[in-house]
Amino acid sequence: MLWRSTTFRFAALVFLLQIAAAATLLAAIRIVVLRQVSAGAAEAGEVLRQDLLAVRAAGGDAELARAIALRTTRVVTPGSVMLLADARGRRIAGNLAAFPPNVAVDRGAAQVELYRITHDAPEAMLLRATALPGGLRLLTGSVVEGERRAVRLLEAATLFALSLAIAFAALAAWLAARMIVLRLDATVATLDAVRDGDLSRRVPADRSGDAFAALAQSVNAMLGRVDGLVAELTIATDGLAHDLKSPLTRLRSALERAAAAVTEPAAQDAVDRALAEGERLLAMVETALRITRAEAGIGKESFTPVDLAVELEEIAEIYGPVAEDAGRAIRVAIAAPATLPLHRELLGQALGNLVDNALKYGAGTITLALDAGEDRVTVSVADEGSGIAPADRDAALRRFGRLDTARGGTGAGLGLSLVAAVARLHGGTVRLGDAAPGLVVAIDLPA
Amino acid sequence: MSAKILLVEDDTATSDYVAKGLVEEGFTVDRADNGRDGLFHATDGSYDCIVLDRMLPGIDGMAVLAALRGAGIDTPVIVLSALGSPEDRVKGLTGGGDDYLVKPFAFAELLARIRLLIRRGKAAPAVQTVLVCDDLEMDLLARRVKRAGRVVELQPREFRLLEFLLRHVDQVVTRTMLLEGVWDYHFDPGTNVIDVHLSRLRKKVDEGFARPLLHTVRGAGYRLGATP
Repeated sequence: MLWRSTTFRFAALVFLLQIAAAATLLAAIRIVVLRQVSAGAAEAGEVLRQDLLAVRAAGGDAELARAIALRTTRVVTPGSVMLLADARGRRIAGNLAAFPPNVAVDRGAAQVELYRITHDAPEAMLLRATALPGGLRLLTGSVVEGERRAVRLLEAATLFALSLAIAFAALAAWLAARMIVLRLDATVATLDAVRDGDLSRRVPADRSGDAFAALAQSVNAMLGRVDGLVAELTIATDGLAHDLKSPLTRLRSALERAAAAVTEPAAQDAVDRALAEGERLLAMVETALRITRAEAGIGKESFTPVDLAVELEEIAEIYGPVAEDAGRAIRVAIAAPATLPLHRELLGQALGNLVDNALKYGAGTITLALDAGEDRVTVSVADEGSGIAPADRDAALRRFGRLDTARGGTGAGLGLSLVAAVARLHGGTVRLGDAAPGLVVAIDLPA
Repeated sequence: MSAKILLVEDDTATSDYVAKGLVEEGFTVDRADNGRDGLFHATDGSYDCIVLDRMLPGIDGMAVLAALRGAGIDTPVIVLSALGSPEDRVKGLTGGGDDYLVKPFAFAELLARIRLLIRRGKAAPAVQTVLVCDDLEMDLLARRVKRAGRVVELQPREFRLLEFLLRHVDQVVTRTMLLEGVWDYHFDPGTNVIDVHLSRLRKKVDEGFARPLLHTVRGAGYRLGATP
């Protein structure tokens, strides 16, 4: 899971590259320093050898032995090592006790660890053996103990620097990951706000011109389009409402005038019926508009904290007498109280529709239930009638989707789709279930 | 002297009908068919109530309302509008309107609301603890109702309904006014729920008494009063 996270991968990449860069740098320093140290020692040894060979060329082996003795007794060059030995390796002059067996003659410089005379600790030295004409052997070189210590220090420093580099690399990786997350935070926050109904929110502009800025720009352009469409929809529905309602108002006025004028019972009855049908038509238009608006997310700004238990009691109170007259009962079952920010009027309308449906198409006691879970609150209306078959439940939720059994009634088939639209406006869903027996319509709202 | 009403409405048919009805009910009616004239008349300040359409040519109804309130004129205003969503209603009421009526409306509804506003505008009622209508008496503190000295047992919802009716004695209250006033709902309950509530209340309040107090007003709503 963690490995799939791009942020994590990016952070890991930054970390590894940082470590690699630090390690390469330290390794390069080490190589250069080591090379410099051994080159310096080799050069010092070579100068000494050339000097001594020059002495021998001028004065022979005896002169060479004297020069070596002179150089080793008087400390002229403190780090130098020299030995003149016979063919068997016995010392003739010099500051080593005997010819070391592990240095090959005429094979270039070799690093060995030996005791110098008068020194009580072994020292690392770079030595070169030269065979002299006449069977004698000359050993020249210089002590590299100091350089070796420096290299050891360098190694310790490298280790320390590397551990520091790991800490810094981790910090750099974390910062880089944070930077990405922070750059996206504004976009995510904006999208969340828009989802929750604030259509005017935009990602704050920045002039960096990078991929994040491009993303923000695209998101803003898309939000602008969404906002425009919703605004157009609002204008369209408002216009529709206005255009439909003006003639309806005139129709109603005319009918009311007629109702006042006619005296014949049959005519009066006809006018009353016409008025009632006009009322129903109006209610349908109103409900259809409400569904459209709720589906578009219009109305989120009207959310207020609502105590759902009180709300259910009120709905039960409003419909109670009607239910009693029909020989039915309304019961309220509160499993856990809940107060949520809601569109009280739309929720009331939705619950009213459900109770009205239960009264018209259901049977037995109607139960208004409220249950609050960890992350969701469920409001449900159940009856004890014949319910809706699972296959028909989707159709029942569709707009104008009336079931055949309900056709011929006076409903418009908008009741349940309004319930579904209201649930969606609140970020919730509607479930039709079996109350065994009967229908239960449950509205799940996010807590 | 009859109450003066300013009607600002651009739809001639609606305007004619409302004006005719109001005159028949004994009001004096001035009319304007656009926002500019409406505002001009309204700033006169001599009206008891203004009926203001929301969508008007010239200056929009809400702008007229804002200008009126800005000028310190607090004549009660009923906003008429085809926009019936809860948000539009809230906007209309927070914009300075005293009431909001969605088109199409029943004339009786408009009339009942105009009367209510005029009365409210005249006398701000003192805090009442006892509401009376004829021999019906409601003690708000003891939450007890008596008729002709006899205690009438009411359920809480019936008490609230009767209280609303008693606060509007001799006025027509419509079904939507009751739903708004008692339960604070503006939605259409679908069935005749309010009528059933009222018929139950009537049984308790009027049954066994010679003179009925709770009257049904045909095509409009209900009225509580001693006169039939």
